[in-house]
Amino acid sequence: MGASLPPKEANLFKLIVKSYETKQYKKGLKAADAILKKFPDHGETLSMKGLTLNCMDRKSEAYELVRQGLKNDLKSHVCWHVYGLLYRSDREYREAIKCYRNALKIDPDNIEILRDLSLLQAQMRDLTGFVETRQQLLTLKSNHRMNWIGFAVAHHLNSNASKAIEILEAYEGTLEDDYPPENERCEHGEMLLYKISLLEECGFFQKALEELQKKELKIVDKLAYKEQEVSLLVKLAHLEEGEKLYRKLLSMNPDNYRYYEGLQKCVGLYSENGHYSLDEIDQLDALYRTLGQQYKWSSAVKRIPLDFLQGDKFQEAANNYIRPLLTKGIPSLFSDLSSLYNQPGKADILEQIILEIESSIKTTSQYPGGMEKEPPSTLMWTLFLLAQHYDRRGQYEIALSKINEAIDHTPTVIDLYSVKSRILKHAGDLVAAAAFADEARCMDLADRYVNSECVKRMLQADQVALAEKTAVLFTKDGDQHNNLHDMQCMWYELAGAESYFRQGNLGMALKKFLSVEKHYADITEDQFDFHSYCLRKMTLHTYVEMLKFQDQLHSHAYFHKAAAGAIRCYIELHDSPPKLTTEEDNDLSKLLPSQKKKMRQKQRKAEARAKKEAEEKNEESSAGGISKSGKRHAKPVDPDPCGEKLLQVEDPLLEATKYLKLLQKNSPDSLETHFLSFELYMRKQRILLAFQAVKQLLRLDAEHPDSHRCLIKFFNKVGSMIAPVTDSEKLIWSVLEAERQTISQLHGKSLFETNNSFLEKHEDSLTHRAAFGETLYILDPNRRSEAVKLIEGSPNNIVPTNGVLGPIREWKLIDCVAVHKLLGTVLVDQDAALRWKVRCAELFPYSTYFEGSRSSASPNSAFNQIRKSSENGSSNHSVGDHNAESGTSNGKLEAFKDLTI
Amino acid sequence: MEGADEGIERVVDSKDLQQQSKAFDKLTDRVEDRQLDSSRVQEAMASIAASAEADWQAMRMREKELAAVKINAADVDIIANELELDKKVAERTLREHKGDAVAAIRHLLR
Repeated sequence: MGASLPPKEANLFKLIVKSYETKQYKKGLKAADAILKKFPDHGETLSMKGLTLNCMDRKSEAYELVRQGLKNDLKSHVCWHVYGLLYRSDREYREAIKCYRNALKIDPDNIEILRDLSLLQAQMRDLTGFVETRQQLLTLKSNHRMNWIGFAVAHHLNSNASKAIEILEAYEGTLEDDYPPENERCEHGEMLLYKISLLEECGFFQKALEELQKKELKIVDKLAYKEQEVSLLVKLAHLEEGEKLYRKLLSMNPDNYRYYEGLQKCVGLYSENGHYSLDEIDQLDALYRTLGQQYKWSSAVKRIPLDFLQGDKFQEAANNYIRPLLTKGIPSLFSDLSSLYNQPGKADILEQIILEIESSIKTTSQYPGGMEKEPPSTLMWTLFLLAQHYDRRGQYEIALSKINEAIDHTPTVIDLYSVKSRILKHAGDLVAAAAFADEARCMDLADRYVNSECVKRMLQADQVALAEKTAVLFTKDGDQHNNLHDMQCMWYELAGAESYFRQGNLGMALKKFLSVEKHYADITEDQFDFHSYCLRKMTLHTYVEMLKFQDQLHSHAYFHKAAAGAIRCYIELHDSPPKLTTEEDNDLSKLLPSQKKKMRQKQRKAEARAKKEAEEKNEESSAGGISKSGKRHAKPVDPDPCGEKLLQVEDPLLEATKYLKLLQKNSPDSLETHFLSFELYMRKQRILLAFQAVKQLLRLDAEHPDSHRCLIKFFNKVGSMIAPVTDSEKLIWSVLEAERQTISQLHGKSLFETNNSFLEKHEDSLTHRAAFGETLYILDPNRRSEAVKLIEGSPNNIVPTNGVLGPIREWKLIDCVAVHKLLGTVLVDQDAALRWKVRCAELFPYSTYFEGSRSSASPNSAFNQIRKSSENGSSNHSVGDHNAESGTSNGKLEAFKDLTI
Repeated sequence: MEGADEGIERVVDSKDLQQQSKAFDKLTDRVEDRQLDSSRVQEAMASIAASAEADWQAMRMREKELAAVKINAADVDIIANELELDKKVAERTLREHKGDAVAAIRHLLR
């Protein structure tokens, strides 16, 4: 390292390295310049200067200098190492690894390079390489604690937990008996817990328990100690001891559901599927009554019995649970109860209970059979609960009448407007939902939660500009809504992207979907610094959990939505490419020469104006600001603010494939993943991959309408292909012949027969009939009217229920919207589409899509009448106009009261 | 030489931001490794077994078996193209199925 320099310059070189390591970059730069004054071509100094500049955000200079340095000194391991570090900082991990390997060829035992290589191997999950590198480090410097720990963790990650245990025990053997000193008790305790979890993972429960108890005094984290101990006791079937310990844990935290679950297991009263015999229910009831006496302040001990109790016992317990919370005015009560609605019969019992409470309070101001008078607010919270109940059951008119009654009772409670907004959203009136969410927001301008809820409703109603203005009220001054991107606000970007997609703005939609994908790339990168940090801190258990979480990162629902959305955009781009310049020129050629000239001038002016606006926007967004890490620097100018460049992609299907592969790897149990895969590969003419998608759909749910659609479409296409000619085609044909035998739906049947069987099985289902109609039309376009008739003839049966107020019908709004689009764009029967719309407008009177009579899309609705008058003076959303805004909002409130029955 | 990507200028406009910035910077601070007692280390190193040898031998045998399988180069190209796979993956799968292209493809479609 700098060996060829004279002593003075060699010392300066060491100073550069030290300054880099301690992040004193200006100092390092000065030292580098001093050396280069005398030795301007010194490779290693040029490289180190470049690396230092890289940390000062001067990246292009950095690359230039590092490459120059390497060119001047190809046999220097320092130059190769530095080049690797540079690539690493740009996440070019594979290139960085190549550079490190080149450096190691020159200096095979360099500790620093091996350590950096191991970090990259961990990041890339090259686990066998990681083990080798950590082993080499341990061999070279076996008196460094971190090398022992690193080697053990590497083996654990490489599925060799027993070897990791050996290494940790060997490491412990190197320690003094009175280890650890006071300042390292936490680190050592964490290491011990990690080792014991490895023993548990290997199935050595008895040994793990013994080791745990032997090392109790050295383990600082007492909660983790107890939880680990109880886990081992249960696995060893020491249930009495386990029970005792779970009770102790419950006394520490009686609201931890896992402790209750563990206790139930120890006394033999736990069922994975939640089903219990009558006898077991009685025992559980007794258990929780006893626990309830012990932990009077715990909500969990009162709530858990509602999950397993049935019938009259459930009714009694639910009654006892609900009443105090209504009296106290707990707004989240319905959320708390909502999981019970998935169990048969309980929704009806809850309805009965709450209606009785409502009736009793209205007549006597007391609960049924109650002795004390309830405060006036109890009625309001009861109505609030009922509104959410009927919303959940799909009875929106009743839900709205209840929430309106509650608002009449106390018009200043924000939660009432939020719930009304949600009911209207479910009923299909997104515009009114946004208006009421805005009403709620205006009642508490300092609450970001209600602001965010309003923004989301606005985006759902495709009011993007308004949503941006509203969101900006809570972003940093001067950052505008770019701040939401910087802070990785994914719900906002996803809702915005979906809105743009609905409006046909593929550029902006794609831009926002891809920015969510970039957040996940950033989160993946975020783990890098912890590969060395966690070994130092010895938080090994958490570190390993973090790595496993990172391996599953792209399984998260938000990533799925973003990737699926991006794929849909690319497919749309492929099916309907944006108009090319030549086509526009052809349009122009039909005009007279003078008109041509005018048109071009107008076009040029418009383009200039748009460009100017975009530039102004960029300047605004690139204004100096404080970033997360506390740096002040000009933000990079957004090269594509409206997503136009994204639209120019040469091969949209190739781009889509990137995201599809991530979905296939991380969301293999999602029907949507394979549906998109089918659509994509059919367009790419990848027959075998499209077939794989069909297989996956059938594996997940062979009876799903989409699975059926894809099955029929695929084999219809294959059946229409000519006899195979090329080797490739013959091979594909052979595979399909062999695979066809495994598909039971097709056994000995034509596609028509398969389709008919599907209809017979699902003739009562609207969504299945729609799938049948679509596939029938695909198989035989001449039978369109038959397909339409079958769809229109779908029954809308009443759901069997004991509901007291009104029936609930099977058809859902979202399915009816899908059928309308099918009739209009796939079957292309506008008369049928119109009939369907009229019919659904009656079934869903609040739906703006169907222009129901009570929706804000209806010209006669109260909403539109009030909107006309408000057009004379529009309100804005700045905080300064709070009073005027409030006045306008009150006007809206008056209008929406007319949305009741 | 672990490096940090943060720049050197830091403008603090709030206490919270200052603490946040300090915590982020601390994550990548240079810290000396803890040293262990070297006499005890020698004993511990001897106890690490070299069981990697057997694993390596088993892997070599497997690779030798696969290399002996005869395959059709055209099949590799077809599989790689139709299933959008790396050629190495296609070739290995074909070898694992003894050159039977149909069986290999059906395996990959699993």
